[in-house]
Amino acid sequence: MTSTPLSVEAVRAPSFARTLAAMGAALRVGVGQTAAAWPVLGGRCLFYALIMVVLSALWDRVAAERVAGAIAVPGDLAVYVGVTEWITLSIPALHLKLEDEIRGGLLEPHLLRPKPYFALAFAQGFGAALVRLAALGVTGLVLLEVSGRAAPPPSALGFILVLGLLGVACGMLLYALAGLMAFWARRTLPFQLVIQKLMFLMGGLFAPVSLYPGWLRQASEASPFAAHLYWAGAQAIAPSAAMFARGLAWQVAWIVLLTLACLALWRAGLAKVLRRGGV
Amino acid sequence: MTTPAITVRQLRKTYSYGRRAPGWRGILSSETVTLDAVAGVDFEVARGERVAIIGPNGAGKSTTLKMLSGVLEPTGGSAEVLGLTPWRARQALAYRIGVVFGQRSQLWAELPARDSFRLLRRVYDQEAASFERRLGELTERFGLAEILNQPVGRMSLGQRMRCEITASLLHGPELLFLDEPTIGLDVTAKAAIRDFVRDHARDHGQTVLLTSHDTRDIELVCERVIVVNRGRIVVDQPTDQLRKRFLGRKVITLQSAGAAIAVDLPGVTTRPSQAHTTILEVDTRQVRVEQVIAAALAAGGIEDVTIEDPPMEEVIHDIYAAVG
Repeated sequence: MTSTPLSVEAVRAPSFARTLAAMGAALRVGVGQTAAAWPVLGGRCLFYALIMVVLSALWDRVAAERVAGAIAVPGDLAVYVGVTEWITLSIPALHLKLEDEIRGGLLEPHLLRPKPYFALAFAQGFGAALVRLAALGVTGLVLLEVSGRAAPPPSALGFILVLGLLGVACGMLLYALAGLMAFWARRTLPFQLVIQKLMFLMGGLFAPVSLYPGWLRQASEASPFAAHLYWAGAQAIAPSAAMFARGLAWQVAWIVLLTLACLALWRAGLAKVLRRGGV
Repeated sequence: MTTPAITVRQLRKTYSYGRRAPGWRGILSSETVTLDAVAGVDFEVARGERVAIIGPNGAGKSTTLKMLSGVLEPTGGSAEVLGLTPWRARQALAYRIGVVFGQRSQLWAELPARDSFRLLRRVYDQEAASFERRLGELTERFGLAEILNQPVGRMSLGQRMRCEITASLLHGPELLFLDEPTIGLDVTAKAAIRDFVRDHARDHGQTVLLTSHDTRDIELVCERVIVVNRGRIVVDQPTDQLRKRFLGRKVITLQSAGAAIAVDLPGVTTRPSQAHTTILEVDTRQVRVEQVIAAALAAGGIEDVTIEDPPMEEVIHDIYAAVG
């Protein structure tokens, strides 16, 4: 082996740009890993198709029998549910990865690197989510075609795509908050369950929040749970540029706030690990 | 005069935790217990030097390594690694050091090694050309070509460890921390790793700080040994001197069908053992291992032979006995 002078290459790029480049590499790793595990991805698509057959039959019955009573449901609820499930099933289990690595004392090797672990873990997870969004999205469009339902207009599909991507980011950040609790809690499952239930109710997984009473609708729309699911789903039942802009504003606001919350938790947890060693 | 790679002054780490009393009393009260993992150590490591820190479990070896690599803050004292205070400049230091934990993987288990290495290029901001050149050199030297596309999680321990060391060297660190790098490996894999670490450090003027339970790691890789016990340094001397005093022993275990085998040679002591097993302690300064084996074979009835270094605990015990 030839002798190589050991020196760190001078790096001119600003630190933020270098971190972004590393996040880009981690994202590509997430994409590659998820695409390589295509049988698992195929199973996920199959599951999506199965639950959509069941849920659309249920909501069609609700609409036909007027089970929802006096509530006027605009558009096709089955398509709304399809969009929210598309996002839900695309979310990677970032909270479990964080819990495993924090509780298992596996953080140290990551802390020995010059780039922030949380940023890389998030980017890798988002890469995985992108592949799932694509695969489940194609599955959803095929189901829509086969079922003979009216598809949302092309502009709404564009809105759904943007709001879906940002919705996934919101959801990942929410679950990351639960995962980061592993620095202090023995198990993060209780936090995860609380988020899941609130996602179900306030996020509009149970029913569009537009069907809720006024005060509850307003509270839900302003919540991070709606930013995760509802705003993208809403484009399936009442597509409009105004709704898109409103949803986008809430999503951007929540992504900023949740990112700051995650960073605050990460820094507090990291300080604990650096002081005490391991969890 | 060249600045040392590592300077440590009165470095201390005290862990404290709550211990609850048994039964109902424990619900209401707990006492705080403190443990001095590192109790004020001082040492320097020159640039290009290869130093081993050895000691029994709980002696403070890994804690010292963690503080010097910046992933643990000390309770007191000071340390400078390559001119930086590790726990205050963890990320800046990360560009200049490589770390291998024998019992913890730094690679992504589900990824092929090549993908892990490519990701590390971005993590360490390496230019593509120098990265590829270094990866090519390490791949050739370590014989990694056949396993580069294999997921790390499916590798043998020896293969994984070769990849771990490669990963720690890809950014060209000036200083390498190795925590039990050969733990759990077979004899061949251990030898490959020892040869590689020693030769690479020598060729590149790299500083190495290594902890191990295996006396051969210390003998074959390091020029100097620091022995710690209960958080304190008890011996700090060149490996040659330590070898002369404490490492000149081998333990030979003979399995036989019949009675215990007697080997009557100077420097050979028979240890108490079970039926059909004879354990010989050999002072290699007085008698060579092959002479002992030859004598044992001459006695006849041998079914199996194992040659081992004395456990580190025994070496440490001898050192403590000698230094009082």
